[in-house]
Amino acid sequence: MIEFNDVTKIYGGDVKAIDDISMTVEDGEFVILLGPSGCGKTTLLRMVNQLESISQGDIKIQGQNVREMDKIKMRRNTGYVIQSNGLFPNMTIEDNTMIVPDLLGWDRKKKKDRFNYLMDLVGLNPDDYRKRFPHELSGGQQQRVGVARAMAADPPVMLMDEPFGALDPIIREKVQDEFLAIQKEVKKTILFVSHDIDEAVRMGDKIALLRDGKVQQFDRPSELLIRPNNDFVSDFVGKDRVLRSMSLYSVEDLVTTFGLKNKEDTITDTKEISIDTSLRIAISMLLNQEADQLVIVDRQGQAKGSLTFDLIEKFLHQEVKGA
Amino acid sequence: MTDFLNYVQREWGTIFSYTLEHLQLVGIAIVIAILIGVPLGIYLTTNKYLAETILQVASIIITIPSIALFGIMIPVLSMIGQGIGFLPALIALVLYSQLPIIRNTYTAIQNVDPNIRDAAKGIGMTTFQRLTKVEIPNALPLIMAGVRTATVLNIGIGAIAAFIGSGGLGVLINSGISRGNSNMVLAGAVFVSLLALVADFILKFIQARITPKGIK
Ligand SMILES: Nc1ncnc2c1ncn2[C@@H]1O[C@H](COP(=O)(O)OP(=O)(O)O)[C@@H](O)[C@H]1O
Ligand SMILES: [Mg+2]
Repeated sequence: MIEFNDVTKIYGGDVKAIDDISMTVEDGEFVILLGPSGCGKTTLLRMVNQLESISQGDIKIQGQNVREMDKIKMRRNTGYVIQSNGLFPNMTIEDNTMIVPDLLGWDRKKKKDRFNYLMDLVGLNPDDYRKRFPHELSGGQQQRVGVARAMAADPPVMLMDEPFGALDPIIREKVQDEFLAIQKEVKKTILFVSHDIDEAVRMGDKIALLRDGKVQQFDRPSELLIRPNNDFVSDFVGKDRVLRSMSLYSVEDLVTTFGLKNKEDTITDTKEISIDTSLRIAISMLLNQEADQLVIVDRQGQAKGSLTFDLIEKFLHQEVKGA
Repeated sequence: MTDFLNYVQREWGTIFSYTLEHLQLVGIAIVIAILIGVPLGIYLTTNKYLAETILQVASIIITIPSIALFGIMIPVLSMIGQGIGFLPALIALVLYSQLPIIRNTYTAIQNVDPNIRDAAKGIGMTTFQRLTKVEIPNALPLIMAGVRTATVLNIGIGAIAAFIGSGGLGVLINSGISRGNSNMVLAGAVFVSLLALVADFILKFIQARITPKGIK
């Protein structure tokens, strides 16, 4: 758990980069620090591992004030990933990845096993990469190694500053998906800086939207999209925010909400849609279709009913806008 | 030309011992210069104000003509009975080496990618670990370039130091001039150049060996 209590950061006596932020990140929660450039995301993140001092207030990790912790020890127990990956050019991929275990004095065997495990986790073949150097890897591969390095000593908390920001869009989505899958497995407490609303909605359990060093809204992505607190939030998430929010729901959510039952009679001449598909994609499929409905099929290929614009609209009102 | 080659062949033993003497002077000077200049260059990256001052002083020293520097040192070192000979020559060479070594070390450490430095810090390395595991290895090629410059410079200045009795290949040049023996002068000059070339080549080889594979 990471707690921010009335945290303020003042640079050089007059620049208030962070202005009285209080919020709590629960164990295992993936929180995105979102906002335009210069709003203070990096500053807030770097105060957690004491790369920036805290001007006022305090930050606690697992109930312990970071100011009172041994900086070196605390940083070794906190994963840190930056946009430019920060891999050490002079070290092999194995040495880079195992740098924290090395500082912690792990033995050779333990480091090797851990390296193999982590490489598999991030989808790189350990033996192919062990002896290579960072400059021999593509941007996406380097960023995967950066993530592996941050997880090397299995820290409970990870701090990530636009870790995928330098990747081109297609690679970025792939790495994001991979990282989400990893997070499902490892359940770290993560603070993740982003300026990209799509990334934030895709990845975060919660989003803290910042402006001028203040938190504008700290909520689940769906709340932020559907019930923005103020004009800044609704402008930032965009006019297409409702459509965007649809990517948070799957056809299955809709099936559950309306209690759609198995359907025996098959409708011919209609396209099928899998129950795993997001509603955002479902909408574009409907827009692409000649027909005005799609047949929902579950994982066993069993038809569950038909999906129409009407049904989605009903879902939107009931599940999303209502309550 | 054949005349010169004959001279070299005949005086080979003398030339070789002067070369060794020269090498010894320069070698000791460079080792001391590295021991002073590299740590100083590293330290200066933490103190910008002092860095400017020291680099300026080093720049001024390097512009002092070597003969003048020897002239200044004679009365000073005479007080401990070392006005001429090996010691003043050594001190002069160490002083002349400081600019290339300090400046290159300072620049090299400062130019280490700030993201890498930040990562090293964020990962939990101590200042010393950052220096030895990350900053120095990545700065090594530039630091070595400074050492190579200093070495070549010293081999040249070392020849002039023969004026104050430090020995070395400069002796050939000096005696050659005073005796009007052009072969002797030429031999001194040629072997100074050869020594510089060979030393630079060897240092280049060492540089290649100690530069981490990942940054070549
Ligand atoms: N070291 C610093 N000294 C002075 N001002 C800084 C420093 N670092 C950041 N700032 C200022 O603090 C504000 C927040 O910066 P930052 O946290 O980097 O924003 P973000 O990561 O959201 O783009 C900006 O106005 C920036 O100019
Ligand atoms: Mg930033």
